[in-house]
Amino acid sequence: MKDSISNQKKYFTRIGGFLFILFLLVAIFAPLIAPFQFTDRFDPFLPPGSKHLLGTNDIGNDLFTEFIYGSRITLLVGLLTGAFSISIGVFIGLFAGYHGGLIDEILMGFTDIVLTIPRIPLIIVLSAFLRPSVGLMILVMSVLWWTSTARVIRSRTMQIRSMGFVESARCLGFSSWHILFYEILPNIVMIIIPEYLITVASAMISEASLSFLGLGDPSLKSWGMMIHHAFQRGGFLNGMWWWYLPPGLGVTVFVLSMVFLSFAFEETETGMGEEIVIAPFNH
Amino acid sequence: MVFPTKKIIRYLFALFFIITLNFFLPRAMPGDPVINLLGEDYVVRKEAIEKIREEMGLNRPLLVQYANYWKDLFRFDLGYSYHFRTRVSSLILSRLKWTFILVAPSLILGVIVGALAGSLAGWKKKSKGNAFSFFFFLFIYCSPPFFISLLFLYFFGFRLSLFPLKGFYTTGNWIDVLKHLFLPILVTTLFSASRNYMVMRGSVLQEKEKLYVWYARAKGHLEDSLLFRHVFKNASLPVITLFALDFGFLFAGALFIEIVFSLNGMGTLIYQSILSRDYPVLQGTFLIISFMVIIANYLTDWFYNWIDPRVKENR
Repeated sequence: MKDSISNQKKYFTRIGGFLFILFLLVAIFAPLIAPFQFTDRFDPFLPPGSKHLLGTNDIGNDLFTEFIYGSRITLLVGLLTGAFSISIGVFIGLFAGYHGGLIDEILMGFTDIVLTIPRIPLIIVLSAFLRPSVGLMILVMSVLWWTSTARVIRSRTMQIRSMGFVESARCLGFSSWHILFYEILPNIVMIIIPEYLITVASAMISEASLSFLGLGDPSLKSWGMMIHHAFQRGGFLNGMWWWYLPPGLGVTVFVLSMVFLSFAFEETETGMGEEIVIAPFNH
Repeated sequence: MVFPTKKIIRYLFALFFIITLNFFLPRAMPGDPVINLLGEDYVVRKEAIEKIREEMGLNRPLLVQYANYWKDLFRFDLGYSYHFRTRVSSLILSRLKWTFILVAPSLILGVIVGALAGSLAGWKKKSKGNAFSFFFFLFIYCSPPFFISLLFLYFFGFRLSLFPLKGFYTTGNWIDVLKHLFLPILVTTLFSASRNYMVMRGSVLQEKEKLYVWYARAKGHLEDSLLFRHVFKNASLPVITLFALDFGFLFAGALFIEIVFSLNGMGTLIYQSILSRDYPVLQGTFLIISFMVIIANYLTDWFYNWIDPRVKENR
């Protein structure tokens, strides 16, 4: 697979990988990188300077520290939501594609129903009723975000199930569990990974949007929450771009890095190995 | 023309599920259902709460409540908002038209711009303009809608003072409304376009390797007429499929864009309801948006069947 990837793609994949690891390191080593504690307070509304790289907010928190710590929440929500929803999607897709018939009808009907429900309005209603928390957000998004994965996995499983090695495994009397997880699953890993990356990207954008509405966890500051505060507490109206620009760009750049990374796993058999094609994702 | 019945059944299921969920949410969530149904903005005495509980039938069996809930829905009764002091149904209807004024032109413009730019980008890949458009739309594609709105509002509204900062109109004449709507519609269009661009580009890339394209080229068609007379039609099918999904996505995205531009539509209504914990309004908006997304899905399927007769039952 490696040699069919064009130079252009390799280049983007490298940038994506570099950015991804950079963000991950920043999130993991946040306490070492951040110059202050995120509870430390200084003069409010300071512009960017040598002491405070991005200035301070309305209650005097250092914004650079907040930005560094915010990456933790945003990445956590994205990566975990991606992991959970991919697991659901892979399970449903594998079963529907492998068994076909009635099971396929029911599972795909269910997928279609979940796909029709408008996600963002539902999450808004749910988080308004419950106390917003990071756990709740991850849970609700995971339950709603798996649909496209299930569809992709299903159609690939349907292709693979009639291949020789699956047929022979079936003839040898292996259980369908064994066939699903030891024969078919290893062959669709190359589809699962880009699906995961895209799901993470979509989840991160949604998290930022919901936090912007004030539905994020009030005790933990994600990038979306920073923008929410900047918008609500006059940071935006006073033109304090250093308050809302870094977290916003943070989300965009991280999502871009995920998309770039997913280039490496693109289909090559359709004769489009040279081209960069971007899968649509919803947020 | 036969419309797939399986799809209709699925949509009805989805609608049933959403309505049932909407019924159980205020009753199953932590806290008193009376408060959950009235909104936390509304402070009443203990005795009054009991009286309201009686009036709303919340002490009746759950099944009776459920039946009554359906009856209310068929009369288009979505409850009463104590925060806005009006019926939820009329409140939503009055806001809905403003959201439509924002979403409808953006959706159409987005499809046109996205499909045209996308097909050109897929057709002639090696050009400076296409590389630029690719990264421009990719950037939009990967950003949260509200963030782009903030950037546009900051640059064009605050810095350059080209456009008014908030609302739909100040004086109410045509030019004034257009001036207010320009930036929000631009941002929404860009979002819609970026998605259509990506899909159309991929679709043309796939389509241009097909044999009929080579045949048409061999017949002596010029490249541009080849693209727009032969390839475009076939390549635009995925864009039509996306249209329904896009409607839901754009509607949700438009909510955030509205909030940033302080447009008095559904998004701002949801925002105000979140701030005042006005549950009936939030539930009503969720129901109405779901309903519209399902209708959009249905219409898209219908349109798709009409435009591509190869598609029959079991698509």
